Amino acid sequence: MAVTETSASGHPLYPPKPAGWRSHKTLISSVAIFAVLAILPWFPVLAFTGTFDTGNDFGAGNMAFVFAYAAAAVGFNLLVGYSGTLGLAHAGLFALGAYGTAILSAPPECLDFDTCEPVVRAASAGYGWPFFLALPVVCIAAAIIGIVVGFPAARLKGFFLAIATLALGELIVTIIRLDDAVWSGLKTNGGTGKQVPIFQFFGLRPVTSAYFMALGALVITFIGYVILTERRLGRTLKAVRDTEIATGPIGISATYYKLVAFGLAAFSAALAGAAWAQNSAFVNPSSFRTRLLVFLLVVLIVGGLGRLWGPLIGAVFFVFLRQELQDTQKLLFLLIGIALILTVLILPDGFASLPDRIRDSRWAQDLRRRFKSVAVKP
Amino acid sequence: MSGAPPPLELDDLHVAFGGNRVLEGVDLQFGLGFNGLIGPNGAGKTTVFNVLSGYVKPTSGAVLKAGESLSGLSQTDRVKAGISRTFQSPKLILDATVMENTLLGRHHLFKWGHLAELLLLPQQRNEETEARRICMEMLDRFGLADDAHKETGDLSLGAQKIVEVCRALVADPQVVLLDEPAAGLGADDVTVLLAGLRELVAAREICVVIIEHDLELVTTMCPEISVLHFGRIISQGTPAEVTSDPTVIEAYLGAGFELSDEAAT
Repeated sequence: MAVTETSASGHPLYPPKPAGWRSHKTLISSVAIFAVLAILPWFPVLAFTGTFDTGNDFGAGNMAFVFAYAAAAVGFNLLVGYSGTLGLAHAGLFALGAYGTAILSAPPECLDFDTCEPVVRAASAGYGWPFFLALPVVCIAAAIIGIVVGFPAARLKGFFLAIATLALGELIVTIIRLDDAVWSGLKTNGGTGKQVPIFQFFGLRPVTSAYFMALGALVITFIGYVILTERRLGRTLKAVRDTEIATGPIGISATYYKLVAFGLAAFSAALAGAAWAQNSAFVNPSSFRTRLLVFLLVVLIVGGLGRLWGPLIGAVFFVFLRQELQDTQKLLFLLIGIALILTVLILPDGFASLPDRIRDSRWAQDLRRRFKSVAVKP
Repeated sequence: MSGAPPPLELDDLHVAFGGNRVLEGVDLQFGLGFNGLIGPNGAGKTTVFNVLSGYVKPTSGAVLKAGESLSGLSQTDRVKAGISRTFQSPKLILDATVMENTLLGRHHLFKWGHLAELLLLPQQRNEETEARRICMEMLDRFGLADDAHKETGDLSLGAQKIVEVCRALVADPQVVLLDEPAAGLGADDVTVLLAGLRELVAAREICVVIIEHDLELVTTMCPEISVLHFGRIISQGTPAEVTSDPTVIEAYLGAGFELSDEAAT
């Protein structure tokens, strides 16, 4: 490239990067972390945790749930953390991804009454699309729905926006719950749930396949998030968040960028929902009610709003708690509530900010100073 | 009067918020170079800017830029048409760098979209680099080049106001509206700001409108000053004409104001 990256006066145009490997810190750490996650099914180094023992189906399934929740939270992070838009339709769009891919990729209804029972038929019938055709179609459809809904929502602020989008999320779940008698083309099987046909990669076991599907969803949303937020879109969304009244006179349409954020968030929610459904193998409308939304918000806030690794850390925390406290659901909510309060009080930037907090603490600075003085002595 | 229409013209502008009449028939023409807009608090100065940038819709009357009406244009369209502005209190992203905040001013000039960004196209990167070069030159002009990669929130309020001026200027505007650019600035900052603005006005054909309470600044900078009082223009002319106008003295200046030597010449 012939383009120089300093101004005529010799000032660097891009922020100076630290020397050596540190200049690629994000790239190296992400590749390393995702590489470790990719080999976990064969090297279950997290076996000691029990919940995340990827050597067995239970642990691999839990890990896949972590990835799916994290992928959904990455998109949520873009919407809430970057554009400052509290759009709460995320759980509904997650459901759209789960149900959409399940129904589109399920085999067409069997008409031979001798070989298939009616109950099974309704719960597993669909349109017989190939999975990798159904997935992008559903994600793009979700993004379009997100944008269309965003139109009225982008004019609202704060609580009004939250309520309006919450209602939309619930509406999607309510449509899914409609009886076949109302709209048979949907094939959602009403409130009783739907079996999900599992896509299997190259003869991998269903659980391992779902594991990679979820990991893939996380990697895709993660890469998109990193690329877009560190460039022009990131600063434009921040401008919409922080200087809203001034965006017009700067030449930025706040409405347009809110819609972009809605669309991207909806896309990620649907993608994550599809991966989630692959892992759970069965979807039911009750899985996607407001409770899922609250969980996603917890994942986001406990992990760290606007932080790169926040969603993954938050999702690990959340799934771990959920599995450990599976038998006592009430205790789960209590502990999650306490965790949320403590995080907001002690670590307002979430668990992902912990390394920075430790590095900047007086204790760590003192320690570094001592090490330096020891090293300097002859 | 020459044949070419003035860069910016306000034609019988009325603005009312409910029963509160803020502007009552403002007729103004702003020429190339510096124009001052002064008046007591609540006179409607910022409302004039808000009308020009499209934030407030006038009850009646029109705004003409180089003879063409701006009515019906959205706020973003007006930026594309070459009008940019600053705010009384800076509206910046405090946790973004000075460079990023300045780059926002060039947002509407980018040709490559966000999809190109996602695909990491080199053309998009080159465009970004060029935009950064233009922003860096502007920051350098206003003495902020060394702070370009600092977080904006770490800068003093005065420096933040200058960042906002830079953001308005990198948009390649023909009309720049500066709302109290020198308020809250230290003496050094004001010197840098004015020197930078003068340099720019000498280099480009732009119309700069300054709202300012610092009369010495306005009278030294602006060959043409308009005085707004209760939504009406009560005086317009050179600094000497305006400051000796009895209605202006009564409404705004008070007795005893004298032009500095620099402005009088």
